Amino acid sequence: MLKVNNISTYYGKVQALHNVSFEIKDEEIVSIIGANGAGKSTLMRSIMGLVQPKEGEIVFKDEEITNLKTNKIVERGIVYVPEGREVFPALSVEDNLEMGAFSKKYSQRILSNKIEEMYDIFPRLKERKKQLAGTLSGGEQQMLAIARGLMSSPELIMFDEPSLGLAPVIVDDMFEVIVSINRQQHIPIVLVEQNAFEALRISSRCYVLENGEVRMHGLSDELMKSPEVKSAYLGG
Amino acid sequence: MFSRKHTRKIYAVLIIAALAFPLISNNTYYITMLCLAFIYMIVAFGLNFITGMTGQVNLGTAGIFCIGAYTSALLTTKTFISPWLALLVVILFGFVIGIALGYPSLRLKGVYLSLTTIAFGEIVRQLVNNMTDFTGGAHGVRAIPPYCLFGFELNTKLRLYYFLLAVTIMFGLIAYRIIYSKWGRVFTAIRDNIDAVDTCGISSSKVKIIAFTLAAVFAAIAGGLYAHYSGYINPSTFTLNLSVSFVVMVMVGGSGTVLGSVLGAVLVSILPEMLRFLGNYYQIVFYILVFICTILIPNGIVNVFLERQKTKALPEKN
Repeated sequence: MLKVNNISTYYGKVQALHNVSFEIKDEEIVSIIGANGAGKSTLMRSIMGLVQPKEGEIVFKDEEITNLKTNKIVERGIVYVPEGREVFPALSVEDNLEMGAFSKKYSQRILSNKIEEMYDIFPRLKERKKQLAGTLSGGEQQMLAIARGLMSSPELIMFDEPSLGLAPVIVDDMFEVIVSINRQQHIPIVLVEQNAFEALRISSRCYVLENGEVRMHGLSDELMKSPEVKSAYLGG
Repeated sequence: MFSRKHTRKIYAVLIIAALAFPLISNNTYYITMLCLAFIYMIVAFGLNFITGMTGQVNLGTAGIFCIGAYTSALLTTKTFISPWLALLVVILFGFVIGIALGYPSLRLKGVYLSLTTIAFGEIVRQLVNNMTDFTGGAHGVRAIPPYCLFGFELNTKLRLYYFLLAVTIMFGLIAYRIIYSKWGRVFTAIRDNIDAVDTCGISSSKVKIIAFTLAAVFAAIAGGLYAHYSGYINPSTFTLNLSVSFVVMVMVGGSGTVLGSVLGAVLVSILPEMLRFLGNYYQIVFYILVFICTILIPNGIVNVFLERQKTKALPEKN
């Protein structure tokens, strides 16, 4: 579905990614783990065209998307839910959801159906639909960011640290939602996480990034047992 | 606190008051002042899209207003075409300036629009001032004919007043429709969180250019109206100071709302008269008031009373 071939990305003169290759197939959950500054978000931003990789190519559904603008990439069906709950705080919950469908030019009826669909998945959002997004709790904002991403009926979703700064109980809910999106809607998911244990648990394959390079990759079950991963990311 | 339903009542009251005003007061001076306020309102309605909602500071509105005014004035005095026909040319110019100035300055994030628009405004003013043969230079353009409507020349203050009121209401309605459309929502979203706009699959630079072009078209039209309202124009009107006043109207009146632009335009055009007794101290008192308003109510006066913005002013990203 999505193939990243040997990309290198720079911020000014600093090289943030070194020849990173990565792949996700249909209906898969692939996780990307690594420490702070390992290049996880840069990889996401490079795929989305928010930064331009200097070398390498990105192929989505057999078409190259390497230097496309972000909005064109979203139109092709990739949705990115950035870290830090990037909602629109001054817009209501419902307006936030409609923003997610902007590029789709849905008819009014399809739009309301789509919103209802989101409310079924996230009942909390329905209770708060008229409230400004900035007044929601952290967990609710993250749910809103996910729902907004789903509004455009994506073919691939990339989550960037969805558990960041959330209470442990809510983190569990969040991963459950992510798994159910994958299982029920058959959408492949890229999950970037610092919470390596959860990421390995729900993904089928995993890439470990270190200093802008792919250090290891393989089946999540196997990585979970690897002594190297254990000591570096799973706390022994 | 007022909801949207309440604001409709406020608009109705304002429109009735504006219709009745000339019947109550015979003071042509106030009527002239209000005519100017109407023209300023149209500028503010437009500027609200780019500066009030999208949060991009445009300091070149006087330049666009100037081009609107001179285009209409020169076309009607030199080629004797109807001011209505000139208005079409003015709209076209507003559109072209919006794209030509917005495209290079808005693809970048940050303060670039402020800088390019300041430069643009000054370039226009200097050109108008120095191209003496074409524009009349510092002497300006005289004897600009009034608009004609159904065979009536709009040559009395009273006719002009009702004409401008009608035009302003029309543009107010257009602005209102845009603010509450999905485009209005995207404008606000850009000010709120520009990076998230791109990740929603919307090109933020394209949206900013649309907001800026709308502002340019509104300002150019208002400039055209100004030329025929005033009958005489010269370059000394169209300074950076005027551009700043337009921003003050939008931000102090209340960003993101039609009502805010109405209030802001009235305040900025009437306040100098009310503060006239201060003589030379007028300017300093005016700007102290602007200063205090900005600190205490950064979203503007109207938004203090509106339900929509119950939260505190959000720090601007970008």
